[in-house]
Amino acid sequence: MNSSRSIKIGCGSAYADDPLDAAAALADSGQVDYMGFDCLAERTMALAQIRKLQDPSAGQDQRIAQIVPLMKRLLERGGKVIGSFGAANPDAAVVDFATALGGLGIDGVRIGIIRGDDVLSQVLSTDYALPELRTSTSAIKERIVCANAYIGADAIVDCLREDAQIVLGGRLADPSLFVGPICHEMQWDLDDWDRVAEATLAGHLLECGEHGTGGNFEDPPYRSVPDPHNIGYPMAEIDESGIVVTKLAGTGGLIDRNTVRVQLYYEVHDPARYLTPDIAADFSEVTIEELEPNRVRVGNARGRERPTELKVLVGIDQGWKSVGEFSYGGPGCVERAQRAAEILRKRIDRLGDAVEEIRIDLQGVNSLHLGAFTAGYPAEVRLRLATRCATREAAATAAHEVETLYTHGPAGGGGAVTSIARAIGVTPAYVPRDQIDISYSVVTS
Amino acid sequence: MKLREIAFSRSGDKGSTSNICVFPYNDADYGRLVDKLTVEVVREKFAALVTGEIVRYEIPANYGLNFVLFDALDGGVSQTLRVDPHGKSFQSLILDIDV
Repeated sequence: MNSSRSIKIGCGSAYADDPLDAAAALADSGQVDYMGFDCLAERTMALAQIRKLQDPSAGQDQRIAQIVPLMKRLLERGGKVIGSFGAANPDAAVVDFATALGGLGIDGVRIGIIRGDDVLSQVLSTDYALPELRTSTSAIKERIVCANAYIGADAIVDCLREDAQIVLGGRLADPSLFVGPICHEMQWDLDDWDRVAEATLAGHLLECGEHGTGGNFEDPPYRSVPDPHNIGYPMAEIDESGIVVTKLAGTGGLIDRNTVRVQLYYEVHDPARYLTPDIAADFSEVTIEELEPNRVRVGNARGRERPTELKVLVGIDQGWKSVGEFSYGGPGCVERAQRAAEILRKRIDRLGDAVEEIRIDLQGVNSLHLGAFTAGYPAEVRLRLATRCATREAAATAAHEVETLYTHGPAGGGGAVTSIARAIGVTPAYVPRDQIDISYSVVTS
Repeated sequence: MKLREIAFSRSGDKGSTSNICVFPYNDADYGRLVDKLTVEVVREKFAALVTGEIVRYEIPANYGLNFVLFDALDGGVSQTLRVDPHGKSFQSLILDIDV
């Protein structure tokens, strides 16, 4: 075994709208060899698929032209970039990368493209159970707009072996974006389950970006984080002696035993069985050791064989969702907002079946915990009307009702704001791995 | 005493399932959390929000508890009309439990 093998890898993005300044700082620092970009959340893929339906050259991550110049120095040093930039359209993402690289005068970059996560036609032609909806794909076929399998590190490693400097795909699983390069550089086999579990531990702590460096953590006076406005992205240094999670010197944020513990089990169900396309990982006895400020060593993840089925996220057309908000303040504001809510319900009733679902909350009173936590009488309250409708027109009409409160509602209401968006539900199906054909190719820009 | 005095937490979502992990600041308080923060107590606190089963996992190696709350997010981030579709604020509600 060659004990000199090592990799330094940083996080560049945790979701499709993540700001890029911290990623740029990390890429420019010279302290990472790889950057992993998670560009998707559960709903992002469905929205990308809709963009692609409207324009066949769309549906990829919309930040590629911005990201490539930020990665210029990393790429010139031989650094590599892995990401789910493809979203609904990996081939269009490759075009965007090649165009952006050409614009910078960089030619001859090897780009790996991973295809096959889009299993829509298969899901429409075969009946798969949708356990969370207690139905199956054939029963709601006409409303299914997309189906993408979470895919693992295999094809990422294949692309890296063929000297790809950029690797992109669609629904690459979040930790796999890091498992691929870690296992490639460390020469860990993808069926060496304990090693893959270690790589997944690193990936899990990196893929949520600022969640790993003190974001979503402060609760004064109990917990404080320095300079959150300038928070650094997480990076990991991995060699045969283990994994160290850290961030750039001079950035804000915090990495300590507590920020690591709370992120380690974030979006994990059974800590002894965290499932990804690569592994059934046991994080229940992970060790966490503070080495120095903002440097934490983690280890002792264990692995068992990866799942035989891949999770497929199925997107379902649910019509349109609208939100309208309106504020009341001062003495009696809650009672006036409650009266306004009564008026809205009667007005919405008039729209009949076009409104499929309605919800009214009083923000400042009971909107987050539905009354489970109550405090004193508020200084002001914001009424929020949310509806789900079959058509965009009905959603617009429903949202507009909050504006009519200016004239026929209780006294002193103001600040109407409305918004309308497509409503796409997502729900999982589980498809045998051998029914999903993942392929890759490497092209030169 | 409220849980917030001695512990911290984070909540996340997968579909309509929420998970909330909880850790005491002082490892010596772990036993107290195991005793006081039962599934029944959490179910009562989240009664208005969660309609499904609640499972508790103990993580003694890291002095933590992980609660998995099924049918907790009104269909999940993409479908619900709730103000906080991810249940990010659940981490604050659990800290209001008396221990």
